[in-house]
Amino acid sequence: MSAQPLVLGIETSCDETAIGIVRGRTLLANVIASSVDEHARFGGVVPEIASRAHLEAMLPMLDQALLQAKVSLKDLDAVSVTAGPGLVGALLVGVASASGLALGLGKPLYGVNHLAAHVSVDLLTHANAIEPTIALLVSGGHSSLLQVDDITSSVVKLGESMDDAAGEAFDKIARVMGLGFPGGPAIDRESNNGNSTAIDFPRGLTQSQDWRERPFDFSFSGLKTAVARYLEATPDYVRADVAASFQEAIVDVLLQKALLACKKSGIDSLVIAGGVAANSRLRHVAQERCDGAKIRLRIPAPALCTDNGAMVAALGSLMAAAGRPASTIGIDADSSLSVTCVSVA
Amino acid sequence: MSICLAIDTSTSRTSVGLVEDGALLWHGFQDGATAHGSALPQLVSQGLAQQSKVDQVVVGMGPGPYTGLRVGIAFAISFGRARGIPVTGICSLDAIAALIHEDDFVVATDARRKEIYWARYINGVRTEGPSVDLPKFVAAIGVSAFGEGSFKYQLTTNEEFLFPDMASLVELSKNSDNKINEAMYLRRPDAVPTSERTQ
Ligand SMILES: [Zn+2]
Repeated sequence: MSAQPLVLGIETSCDETAIGIVRGRTLLANVIASSVDEHARFGGVVPEIASRAHLEAMLPMLDQALLQAKVSLKDLDAVSVTAGPGLVGALLVGVASASGLALGLGKPLYGVNHLAAHVSVDLLTHANAIEPTIALLVSGGHSSLLQVDDITSSVVKLGESMDDAAGEAFDKIARVMGLGFPGGPAIDRESNNGNSTAIDFPRGLTQSQDWRERPFDFSFSGLKTAVARYLEATPDYVRADVAASFQEAIVDVLLQKALLACKKSGIDSLVIAGGVAANSRLRHVAQERCDGAKIRLRIPAPALCTDNGAMVAALGSLMAAAGRPASTIGIDADSSLSVTCVSVA
Repeated sequence: MSICLAIDTSTSRTSVGLVEDGALLWHGFQDGATAHGSALPQLVSQGLAQQSKVDQVVVGMGPGPYTGLRVGIAFAISFGRARGIPVTGICSLDAIAALIHEDDFVVATDARRKEIYWARYINGVRTEGPSVDLPKFVAAIGVSAFGEGSFKYQLTTNEEFLFPDMASLVELSKNSDNKINEAMYLRRPDAVPTSERTQ
């Protein structure tokens, strides 16, 4: 395998049909078709609608990605696909497509972990080595703190959310405030005009006992309840202030725990990845606090934080370059694939 | 001389065939309603070990339960694109009916939720369907019934012709009237809001 493998990655774990192509650590193409508008009126993703949209978008996205990268399928060194976690019916469209490509081309297939892929995409925008690093992975489905010694083989989970994921909390609060779906970008926008210290919302799992017993775990359900109660009790609430204060509570607790993980592990590097990493306040406060603590911070460009195919191609490319074994023919989608399992055998 | 890769995942059986000039060179299948995802690539890989050069892909477009059906179609169109060869979609029920030599009959497969996907054929032509209905609706038509769904719901005791036939799938692809471009779901997606979001 070449040191700069040309890899095409397919991502279909939720509502985005995304294909990326990378050569080594160079991003050549990143295309996305989203069915998000079809889900908006349900306030969440409808799995069957997402799966149907994936199948319809697959060939158009494939052609568009190849055109953008100016490569042809036969040039590829490997194919990479999200094997999990995610919606099983949605994942299966991607896995079947990737299997068809790999078998048709006679090239290896890497079935990779969506969460590890979120972290690995950092390499496409930052040339320096990723490992070892602490990774804060925050998205609609996951909030985890990870220690990444080698993204192709060794990811250790330090902690995770006990209830809602951070992105889920954004969605739910946006819904009760009538800000629409998806909630993350809506709250981010609304907060621009608000005062983040207007309301002192609770920071979950930050009591002294929590710091002893579960320092790296998160909980957002108490915050969610507190915001809902505040809205009920305050008919003339200022929407921008509520949004900004809620956002501040999430950002604060995420970063408190991420920086503690760096300190405790002695690792002076932090990667923030996942859809919530596109949040402008999180990016801003993270930079301030990491500068203060002399921690090297890396956050992918916002377009690479949300679900995309480039991240899947990036991880596949790293696996191929590191000489990791390809997945066997006939891998299945695994809707609850653990973050510690970087690729499926 | 042209070799065709035939794929159908519209029933509980994942079926793959290699067909040359109407003759079935190789056939592999695996049964199991949730096995399509892992079975299909394995079967195709086994087939390619026999005959690696393929000139065309023909795939059953359903009707069929959604997730399994999509596995076959997604695989077929991607394999076709990888090889730069044409991919043709065919109504899967037609590939069961093709082997049956009766004047008037129905073919039905299992649609789950106590319903069946079915079509009626008179003198070799599909005259009704494909549709999705309760088995009793189809039983009331009063003609011979074939296929996995007919057997499951006791419209027949005939255990032959339960699944699409690979050579017939390829034969049908030669007739332009049979070609179908989109997956045949026949039902609207269940639009139940879910909080099952990931990432
Ligand atoms: Zn994600």
